[in-house]
Amino acid sequence: MLRSRNVWLGLVALLALYLLPFWVSGYVLGLLTVAYYYSVAAMAWDLLFGFAGEVNFGPSFLVGLGAYTAAMLDHYEGTPIWLCLIAGAAMAVLGGAILAVPALRLRGPYFGLVTLVAVLLLQNLLVLFSGITGGEIGLDIPDVLSVDDRTNYFYALVFMTISGGLLLGLSRSTAGLILQASGQDATEAAALGFNVAKHKLAAFCISALFSGLAGGMLIFYLGTASVGTVVDISVGVQFIIAAVLGGRRTIVGAAIGSIFLIVAGEILRPLGELSTFVVSGIALIVILFFPGGFLGALRQRGG
Amino acid sequence: MLALQILITGFAISALYGRGAVGFTLIFGVSGVLNLSHGAIMVVAAVAAWASASFLGFGRYGGAAAGVLAGFLLSYATYFLVVRPIQNSRAIPRDEKEIFVLTGTLLWGIMIQEAVSYLFSNTPKTVLPLLPGVVGIFGVRTPANEIVTFAISWLVIGLLWLLVNRTRRGKTLIAAAMNPRGLTLLGFEMANIHRTVWAIYGVLAGIAGVLLGAFLGVSSDNVGTLTASAFSIVVLGGLGSVSGSLIAAYVVGYLETVTAYLVAPSVRSVPVLLLLVLVVYLRPQGLLGRR
Amino acid sequence: MTDAPSRRLLPCAAVLAACAAVAAASASAAEPIRIGVIAEAASVAGASIPNAAQLAADEINAAGGVDGHPIEIVAYDNKSSAADSVRAFQRAVQQDHVAAVIASYISEVVLALEPWAGRLKTPLITPGAASDLITHRVHDDYDHLKYVFHGYLASTQIADAVCDAARDLLVGPLKMTTAVVLSEDAAWTIPLDAEYLNCLPKIGLKVLDHIRLAPDTADFTPVYNKIEDEKPDVIITGISHVGVQPTVQWAEQHVPIPMFGVASQATTSTFWKDTNGAANGVAFNMFSAADVAVTAKTIPFAAAFQKKYGVTPSYAGYTAYDEVYILADAFKRAGGTDADKVVTALEATDYVGTIGHIQYLGTDSPFTHGMRIGAGYISGLLVQWQDGKQVTVWPKDVAVGALSFPAFIKLPQ
Repeated sequence: MLRSRNVWLGLVALLALYLLPFWVSGYVLGLLTVAYYYSVAAMAWDLLFGFAGEVNFGPSFLVGLGAYTAAMLDHYEGTPIWLCLIAGAAMAVLGGAILAVPALRLRGPYFGLVTLVAVLLLQNLLVLFSGITGGEIGLDIPDVLSVDDRTNYFYALVFMTISGGLLLGLSRSTAGLILQASGQDATEAAALGFNVAKHKLAAFCISALFSGLAGGMLIFYLGTASVGTVVDISVGVQFIIAAVLGGRRTIVGAAIGSIFLIVAGEILRPLGELSTFVVSGIALIVILFFPGGFLGALRQRGG
Repeated sequence: MLALQILITGFAISALYGRGAVGFTLIFGVSGVLNLSHGAIMVVAAVAAWASASFLGFGRYGGAAAGVLAGFLLSYATYFLVVRPIQNSRAIPRDEKEIFVLTGTLLWGIMIQEAVSYLFSNTPKTVLPLLPGVVGIFGVRTPANEIVTFAISWLVIGLLWLLVNRTRRGKTLIAAAMNPRGLTLLGFEMANIHRTVWAIYGVLAGIAGVLLGAFLGVSSDNVGTLTASAFSIVVLGGLGSVSGSLIAAYVVGYLETVTAYLVAPSVRSVPVLLLLVLVVYLRPQGLLGRR
Repeated sequence: MTDAPSRRLLPCAAVLAACAAVAAASASAAEPIRIGVIAEAASVAGASIPNAAQLAADEINAAGGVDGHPIEIVAYDNKSSAADSVRAFQRAVQQDHVAAVIASYISEVVLALEPWAGRLKTPLITPGAASDLITHRVHDDYDHLKYVFHGYLASTQIADAVCDAARDLLVGPLKMTTAVVLSEDAAWTIPLDAEYLNCLPKIGLKVLDHIRLAPDTADFTPVYNKIEDEKPDVIITGISHVGVQPTVQWAEQHVPIPMFGVASQATTSTFWKDTNGAANGVAFNMFSAADVAVTAKTIPFAAAFQKKYGVTPSYAGYTAYDEVYILADAFKRAGGTDADKVVTALEATDYVGTIGHIQYLGTDSPFTHGMRIGAGYISGLLVQWQDGKQVTVWPKDVAVGALSFPAFIKLPQ
């Protein structure tokens, strides 16, 4: 594997990212920080979809659970950040498990519907109990990871590197291959003796763990947690698009897609309101003509 | 008195939901597509009706017609520009076509939403009611337009039923929903069938959008919620079942209205969401859906 | 914040330094002072903010700028999102090096930005958000949050303005005795409603019910039916996120009770068209209007804005315009853009703008860095849509017309 050219390319790119702070302004770093957190959520989504074959329409359900748990603990109890993050991740895993129960009994679009309903439920609950959760206002968080943009950048980059590494490793492991098999043809996998349900449940929980962590870290970066930042369907949509754009079933593709989306949105900033339109348009064209996403297109060329 | 108010308001809201949901489920049932740009088509129809009435001076009837036309055209555009290329694409493996259609229509919906917001801002627009003024129904003051809305809804549903059960084209559609391969073997052109169903869908969504715009008003911000609401109703009723969607629409409409009147307007959507959770856990295929 | 450049960069740095020196020597007098403006470009109310700010900047620059330095407005569209606003704020301070930020009319956004103003030590003024929390926080944590100024009225103050108008227009001449409070469930209405419930009975209006709307309500029929059953003489409103829909439905359903109070969307000149005329009769609070000389500056500003942009400014446009002038004045008195000095200068503001005579309150008031209200300062207007025009009906000394309602409204006899 280490001999593959793509791997070397990837490592060089990663190194470049680590050296970036010496060359660019604080604002660009801030942009990339958010992109890295989104990447982790997108990569977690790719694990679930790309490998377990489950179309999760509500990745923001898991991210939101992690984010709000961490936020409320910090806001009301003043719990130290690392503890909030663990609690957030745990809550997200719990949520993921609960979501998995109906999921594993459903096929196709029904599962997607269930996940979508989960997001709507969470959103409505948060708004309904706005007295505690801050509702649409959002909850402000007394502690942030850091005020320095460079420190924040490295927190995010390291987080993304570790999460990405773990997720990638998982996807290539035996468990990952079984997952992939179950995703592509559940009946056959079951016939081969693998416990499909157990592996899919595991995929859910892992996806939830990383999503919840990403959500927690994101809000400790922004200093505020609001429905529009971590729960709204449009947020979840960004993760899905990032993963598909980058190349599904690659894990790394999701990270590339996330970074692309945020950077493109920024480059197109002079267009003002039309920037989202153009970025969505580009994403649409890419998936129409290069369904394998960026990495897929690269693979076709390079080998 | 309260009961009558609930009855009438509930009916109006349910009819509104029903129109949106029927088209959504039809497209899934026949074309196999979960069109996530559904809300966008409805909003465009409403905005087109408003814009042509306001800026082009079409007046209320011309505006409404323009709105429905816009829905029809956009629906076709969605099919030809987004859905068909994905379905026919050789590069996408068959079992993944669905997720790509989903993502594609999602992106398309976002593009439309942003375009509407850019051109018309996100302030809600209202369509001129087809019949202005109010009438009294047993003492309950009701806008005349609501009655027009009921009438049109049921007319449309009646026409749809006739089309599906009495005409040849319609029966072909049902057959296509049940067994597309069988139909191709018999020599029917699937492409033709798809075109027909997207055309019907476009008109349905267009009418739904225009009437929604007249009754409640729409803005580009509603695109996501409209799609989500159609989605939820269709989950309850059963994907692919038109009658299921209609029943579910009335269940949801009345549940919301009763909650709004008897409990508080701010919690109107809670019982519906709880119902949704129950259905998803206990009977995921919905009321009348097929497994 | 920057580390020493690595070896390869050294020659580049030397060249850059030389260029900078030359530039500094020749153009320091013309170095612009940047003011960041973060607002919602897609909403009609928000779009006024950067436009009004630019108008003010153009006028100031035409008159020589601030001691020769031109004011440069850097605008950011926050897409109504708190997260985007935080990013925009960070960009404005760290990349674009603005000296101050004017931000948003949405309380949620301003509350999210407030801690960042403290962390990045940059003055922040809001031209339109109303939450009391904005100033209460400054009061409670002055050392960190002293950079934040509230350029609009707090909800409590707005409620008092509405009560004053109701007393003069509804209780006196129209003999109204009962009311229902109808507001949207949001940050800014919590203190608004609390003050309504406090001041309405004091002026003679008994509050029969207090209804809070879910923020995404689309169907207002049950709400209106419920209110009608309670038979109040007037509906006192607190709405901003919604506006077109409840108004249209109110008119369509011929709800026989007038609406009076706060309705932010009604302040924009496109509201008539957006509601297809259903706005007729809606009475709402504003702090300046295009037809009233609240101060000598109000009408000329509205006219200049209309000439340049084709529509009258929203309520946040007036305040944004004033704020650019206030900031310019503060920069002048502070002798530069040092944040702490600017804050001290802002606290000493004594400026007559388009909305009135502006002074900021100090730490002795719970509304620290909020504006002073009352006679001689900021007092508010009550405006009503009549036949396609916004007509000011209160206070008497500046009123242009009288309160008049559509035919389907039933007034107490």
